[in-house]
Amino acid sequence: MKKWLVTSIVLVMTTTLAAGCGGNNGSADKETGNTSKAGSSTGKKTELTFWGDWGGEGQKQFETMVDAFNKSQDKIHVKYVLQQDMITKFLTSATNGGTPDVLFWDRWRTSLYAPKNVLHPVDEYLTRDGISEDDFYSESLRELSYDDKLYGLPLTVDARALFYNKKLLAEAGLQPPTTWDELEAAATKLTKWNGNKLETAGFSMGDLGLFNMYLQQAGGTMLTEDGKTNFNNEQGKQVLEFWDRLMNKDKVYKVGFELGLGEGQDAFVTGKVAMLYSGPWMLSTYNKYGKDLDYGIVPPPAGPNGDKGSVMGGFGLVIPEGSKHKEEAWEFIKWWTANKDNALLWAKTSLNLPGYKPSMEDPFFKDDPKWQPFLETLEFAKVRPNHPGYSVMETDALAPNLQLNQQNKMSIDETLKKSQEEGDKMLKDNEVVK
Amino acid sequence: MASIRKLEKHQARTAYLFITPTVLLFTVFTVIPVVMALYLSFTNYDVLSRNDWIGFDNYRRLIEDSLLWKTFRNVFLYSIIFVPFNILISLLLGILLSRSWRGVKLFRTLNYLPTLTSAVAAATVWIWLLHPEFGLVNGLLSYVGITGPAWLSETRTAMLSIIMLTLWQSVGSNMIIYLAGLQGVPDYLYESARLDGANKLACFRFITWPQLRPTTFLVSTMSIIGALQLFDQAFVLTQGGPANMTKTPVYLIYQQGFNQLQMGYASAQAFVLAVAILIFSLINMRITKAEESIV
Repeated sequence: MKKWLVTSIVLVMTTTLAAGCGGNNGSADKETGNTSKAGSSTGKKTELTFWGDWGGEGQKQFETMVDAFNKSQDKIHVKYVLQQDMITKFLTSATNGGTPDVLFWDRWRTSLYAPKNVLHPVDEYLTRDGISEDDFYSESLRELSYDDKLYGLPLTVDARALFYNKKLLAEAGLQPPTTWDELEAAATKLTKWNGNKLETAGFSMGDLGLFNMYLQQAGGTMLTEDGKTNFNNEQGKQVLEFWDRLMNKDKVYKVGFELGLGEGQDAFVTGKVAMLYSGPWMLSTYNKYGKDLDYGIVPPPAGPNGDKGSVMGGFGLVIPEGSKHKEEAWEFIKWWTANKDNALLWAKTSLNLPGYKPSMEDPFFKDDPKWQPFLETLEFAKVRPNHPGYSVMETDALAPNLQLNQQNKMSIDETLKKSQEEGDKMLKDNEVVK
Repeated sequence: MASIRKLEKHQARTAYLFITPTVLLFTVFTVIPVVMALYLSFTNYDVLSRNDWIGFDNYRRLIEDSLLWKTFRNVFLYSIIFVPFNILISLLLGILLSRSWRGVKLFRTLNYLPTLTSAVAAATVWIWLLHPEFGLVNGLLSYVGITGPAWLSETRTAMLSIIMLTLWQSVGSNMIIYLAGLQGVPDYLYESARLDGANKLACFRFITWPQLRPTTFLVSTMSIIGALQLFDQAFVLTQGGPANMTKTPVYLIYQQGFNQLQMGYASAQAFVLAVAILIFSLINMRITKAEESIV
């Protein structure tokens, strides 16, 4: 009797275990079972799954759009599924068939994933439905392309512009800077030290990832046409010399000054940083926490030869190759990203610049002094190079050497030389292997 | 005789039944993945489209990967400082809190508390404490006239900051292990030592420390493994910077596998890390000589 009990318990345990291993399939089956049921009860709707990794406020913003789409027609029903670790989840799902139909996509990843044939090209849909590529920023489409194929449409566009504290600039009798020289002069004048203690930093130099942007302002580019680093030259040198003046001669900033000062204590919000480069994604934070903060935005100051530069980024919507409802997924993407009213609704709910240019004609953008500088900046902003190894090169080869240079542990010439050597190796190690 | 054998058989069968779930779990989630990872380290697996046998190419690439060796140097440097301090501090705490003082339980609890905090939460708080201008640490230093460094952002102090945080977090649990170890030291040894006129220092040197050898072995091995697998704290506090000073192998493996889709190469890196952990555990075993019976 007892023996039987033990055996049966063990049997039950092992079967549940075994079921646990195949849990993914089991639950997926269940889900599809449910959805087909739901579909049959409300007519013959196609169920679409839309994955994104924005939770909290972002989730609400997405759901607003999804609800609006579901109400706009009666053939397709979209469901937003929040995935905390979306890319990892997508990796495993792309191989076992559980892919979503629409994916919220950080555009720079395109050059890494498109060669693996997991994204569905949309060029044919675009021609068929007569959607003009001119309605989007060509740079943002370039970031969604690989090998002359387009893999989705841009949902948001952003670029860095110069944020400045109006009160501090007025006190010092300054106008917002438009060139490097003016930026340096203003930053120097705005900085306040109390002995060894930095009280107000004139200009934030905490993000060395902005090297790309400064390089454009100096008239350079990060990579050559054939995929090698292109900053160990006069332009790269100009950037580092400019930084060296700001950091070591004018002492407008201190290393680590902003680290750990999150939202509510943000150094710009509390007036401890007078000017910094930031993007539209910070607008809601500054508006929320900075009740006493009066700030303005101008396009990035031009470099020594008058070159303008900023880095464009943003998100798009793509269709995974594994999706079983590509046509319907495209309908949803088209509705959201290539329609003036819907793109505008999205912009207003999420406070993002939409990827669709016609919607920016709206007074919501045209008449707002906070949006205007971004629209100007987007006219000349460039996306990061389309090389699958680019982000690794930037964070693991370039940034560490720049940090050594910023802390006076490496000369400018050596920094550029080492960044080039290590960077070229990483680009080569991480390029597309067929 | 016969009935005893029958009983043993019966017991053996029950034992097997009871360990089956664990062994199954172990096989499915440990043995199979390890064997698969070894196989993958000889392929160009990218999760999505490729899985071809490429022989030793990944391992050849490893040799020239200066960043990987830099991360290994980082964790070795970390271990060399972290492990001895960890043992020393947790042993001292263990001895101090093994006496039956009033309120000693409260102190034990307080010392154990940091262990319960999640690594990410603790790191977030420490970023605050270590802020160059507004942080508590530099605030205290400025009272005695010292201008503290930008702990997490300067190349010479970044790793030190991570060591401080991980020590603060891990001595609590090791203290508990030492407390347990100290309770296992038989009293008659101390009694006879005292009869022979040994002082406290001699008692510690000739009784406590040798008796604690298995405990020390456990604590040091776990710290070494933990040190070589350092990830969360370095990730949250410094993101591997400044200048790659706090980048760790696990960080790099994650990045190579999931961000760059080079699972094959990441598996090769993981195997080098596994071998390194094995070697260091063996060296540690030699030093602490834990395989010898002590009593």
